[in-house]
Amino acid sequence: MKRREFIQGIFAVSAVATVTFPATLLAKESPSVTKGPNDMSFEEALKVITDGKGAKESELIKLTVPEIAENGAVVPVKVNVDYPMTPTQSVKAIHVLNTANGNARCADAMLTPANAKAYFATRVKLSKTQEVVALVELSDGTFIKTAKSVKVTIGGCG
Amino acid sequence: MAEVRKSMIKIKPKKYKVGDIVKVDFIVIHPMDTGMQKDKKTGKIKPAHYIDSITFSFDGQPFTTMKVWESVSTNPYFSVNYKITGKGKITVDYTDNQGEKNSKSKKVKPKG
Repeated sequence: MKRREFIQGIFAVSAVATVTFPATLLAKESPSVTKGPNDMSFEEALKVITDGKGAKESELIKLTVPEIAENGAVVPVKVNVDYPMTPTQSVKAIHVLNTANGNARCADAMLTPANAKAYFATRVKLSKTQEVVALVELSDGTFIKTAKSVKVTIGGCG
Repeated sequence: MAEVRKSMIKIKPKKYKVGDIVKVDFIVIHPMDTGMQKDKKTGKIKPAHYIDSITFSFDGQPFTTMKVWESVSTNPYFSVNYKITGKGKITVDYTDNQGEKNSKSKKVKPKG
């Protein structure tokens, strides 16, 4: 084998190794359980919640999360939607999701006109740097969403 | 027998009138275990134990319901808005995945 082919071969092998290695490393660090009973990817959750319809990006949603979370176990999330809350037109639900925990779903708030404002806040666990997504269901049956990235220095799932 | 959990309903601001839109905060002491962590003392996996459903009602009428999963932080905090319609009682009923049912109430006393 020529020297160049040999070196390229090493790079090819190490590229594959870096892709698979982290997964096995994670398994070693959490040898107990790596899959939870409610595990669902963000894409799956989006499909399930919107019944396959998907959601459009919207600036009507104001999602407030910290840019950097010192503690991934307690990440504050605030969602405000600039939308009426009347009996004929309202926000039906605010779904808070994540993109890299085993279970993408965090919490859903099903609102009514009695809330008067479309607002929901909670605190979530993020296992590592990822996006928090606010997925909003409107009374006309459509869904809108927005996402923000949160940098996590200490993972929040134990 | 279900453990009586410590929880708190806060209305912000503390002074409000009929027609005001207030914030209703609910905090409850609950482990929100994901089912994927080991108990440091026993070395065994702690079973998943998290609040999964919450209903906020005013004088028996639900005005907000929530579905909650284990990705929510330990000792969870939830907040929504509510328009004050008169004197009465806000009740928060919540259940967890292990079948525990609990309830907390707070009087609503508008000034004017």
